[in-house]
Amino acid sequence: MRLDRQFSELGDPPIKNVEEECERLIKCEARLIDTGDFEQWLALFTHECLYWIPARRGGDPRREVALEFHDRRRLEDRIARLRTGSAYSQIPPTRTCHLLSNIEIFVVEANEVGARANFVIHTSRLTVQRALAGWCGYVFAQEDSGWKITLKQVNLLDSDRGQENNSFFL
Amino acid sequence: MQRAVVRWDDLVQEHRVHRSLYTDPSVFAEEMIKVFGGTWVYLGHETEIPKQNDFVTRRLGLRPIILTRGGDGRVHALLNRCSHRAATVCRQSEGSARHFTCGYHGWTYSNTGELVSVPGEDAYAPEFHRSNYDLAKIPRLENYRGFIFGTLNRDAPALVDHLGTARPLIDQWLDRFPGAEIIVRSAAHRMVMRANWKLVYDNAGDGYHPPFSHRSLLRMTARRYGTDRDMSYFGTGDPDDCRMYTQSLSNGHTFFDQRLEMHADSAWRRQRPQPGREAYEAQLRERLGDEEANRLLEVAVGSGMNLNIFPNLLIIGNQIQVVEPLTVDRVQVTWYATTLSGVPEEINVLRMRTQEDFPNFGEVDDAANFEACQEGLGIPELEWIDISRHLHTGREMVDEQGIVTGPASDDIHFRAYYKEWKRLMSAELNLTIK
Repeated sequence: MRLDRQFSELGDPPIKNVEEECERLIKCEARLIDTGDFEQWLALFTHECLYWIPARRGGDPRREVALEFHDRRRLEDRIARLRTGSAYSQIPPTRTCHLLSNIEIFVVEANEVGARANFVIHTSRLTVQRALAGWCGYVFAQEDSGWKITLKQVNLLDSDRGQENNSFFL
Repeated sequence: MQRAVVRWDDLVQEHRVHRSLYTDPSVFAEEMIKVFGGTWVYLGHETEIPKQNDFVTRRLGLRPIILTRGGDGRVHALLNRCSHRAATVCRQSEGSARHFTCGYHGWTYSNTGELVSVPGEDAYAPEFHRSNYDLAKIPRLENYRGFIFGTLNRDAPALVDHLGTARPLIDQWLDRFPGAEIIVRSAAHRMVMRANWKLVYDNAGDGYHPPFSHRSLLRMTARRYGTDRDMSYFGTGDPDDCRMYTQSLSNGHTFFDQRLEMHADSAWRRQRPQPGREAYEAQLRERLGDEEANRLLEVAVGSGMNLNIFPNLLIIGNQIQVVEPLTVDRVQVTWYATTLSGVPEEINVLRMRTQEDFPNFGEVDDAANFEACQEGLGIPELEWIDISRHLHTGREMVDEQGIVTGPASDDIHFRAYYKEWKRLMSAELNLTIK
C-alpha cells in the first residue's frame, strides 16, 4: 500500500452518472477552496457563471446589495487580488475546512441539474477560530465535455447580521 | 469635573493621542454615555420606515432603541426597554407593528410608546397610572433631509446648526442627480471587526492610507485593467501629489474629497467593470441615447465623497456607513446601500454592484489593518498614537466660514474630531430620557 498519497489529486471517480458527478463536483469545489487552489477551483465553473452570497434570504440582486455577487470576471479579480502579495485581509490566509452534508441533487431543466447541500466551514486565522454555517444552492450545466458549476449561491445562516473577515471563498 | 478635563488634556494632545482611548473599558463606557448621548447621533433614514407602523431597531451607543413611524405618520425613537422589568419589547430588526407586547409579562405599548394595557392592572396601587409607564423616548429627534438624528442632550444646538458647514456637503451628496431622492432599502453589508470603534472612524478621513492599505486592490486593478482606473489616482508615490484634499468642518465633522480626481472626466469610464456592466450600458444607450445614458451612468458610480459626521455617520461613495460600537475592542460597521428614485432600473442595478465593490475589495484590507492596530495597542508600555501629519507644514488654509482645508494626507480629520470628542468627554452634560 502506498503511504505517500497527499489527497491533493484524487483521480477519476469510479462511476460516471450525473448525480454522482454533480456530488463529486461540489465536494471537489469545497476541497479546492480548502487547499487554496483557486485557479483550479475556478476551472470547475462554466465560462458564464455566478458566485453569490445574498445579504438577505431571497434578496433580489437587482434591488439589493449582496454580500458578494461575482461573475467570472469578478472572480478572476478576486483571485488576482489575493495573489498580489498585499491582500492584508488574507495575510496570513484564513485556513478553512468545509463540511458538506444533506446533499440533494435534482433536475432543473433538460440540460441543467441542481443541488442543495448544508455546510459548516470551520475557519482559523491568527488567533481567531470560527464556524460558518448555512446551505448552498448549485446549478450545473454541461460545457465542453463535462458537467460544470454555473451557479453557486451561499446562504449563510446569519447573512443579515455582522460578518467577520470572510475575504476568502465560502 | 476639573480632574476629568485635566485627564483628557493629557490623553488627547494636538499631535498624539493615548492608547487607553482604544483599550480602556472605562473610557469606552464613558464614551457610550457622553459621546453617544451628548451630541446628535445618526439613527436611521426616513425611507427605511416609509409606511405607518413600520419600524427598525437601532442603538444609540449601547442603548437599544426602536425607530418607528407611528399611526400619526411621525417618526418616534423609543427606548427598547419595558417600563416594568426592563426586557426589550421589540426583538425583530425590522417590520411593521401597531403595538409592541413585552414577551415577559405582557405589557403592551403602542408604536408611539404609550402603555396601552397591563395584565391584571388592578393588582397595582390605586395611584398607578399607565401614563407614567410609557416607553421612554429619545428626548430630541430631528431630521435633516431624511437623515434622522437623536440626542439625550437637551442643551444641544439645533441639528442644522450642529451640522454647520457639513450641511452644504450633505446637500451636494443628496442632489448629485437632480430630482432623484435617495432611498435606503437595499440591504446592507454588516462587518464586525475586532477593533475599537475609533479605528474605523480614524480611517474615514485618512487620505494617507489608500496607496498602502489598498495596495492589493490598486495592483489588481492596474494589472487587469490598466492604470487609468477607479482609485488609480491614489498613485504609489507622494500621497499629496493630487487634487484631493481633506477638510475640517463644524463640530468635529470632516470631509475627504476625491471628486476632482475621480470625476475629473467620466468616473463611469474608469470604473472597474462590474457584473452586467456592458449589457446594462448597451440597453441604456439604445433606449435613451448617449447623452442621457452618459449623464445617468455617472450616478451608478460612487460619489467620490467621504463625509464624516461625528460620531457615527460616514457618507462614503453611494453608501451610508454607520459605526456601531460593541465593546472597547469590537465594532460593527454597517454599510447601508442606496438606490435613487425616478431613474431607470439599470442604474439602480449597477449601483448595487458598485456598492458591493469596495466592501469586498477594499474595506477587508482596512479591517485587517484596524485589527492589527488593536493588537499593537495592547502593548502597555508604548502609549502614543501619532496624529501630527501636516500639523507643522503650513499647508492648511482657513476660509471665512472656518473650514480648514489641508492636503490629502493631512491628519486634520483626527485632530478635528478628537477636539470635539474631548469637549464632550469633559463637559457637564445634561443627559436625560423622558
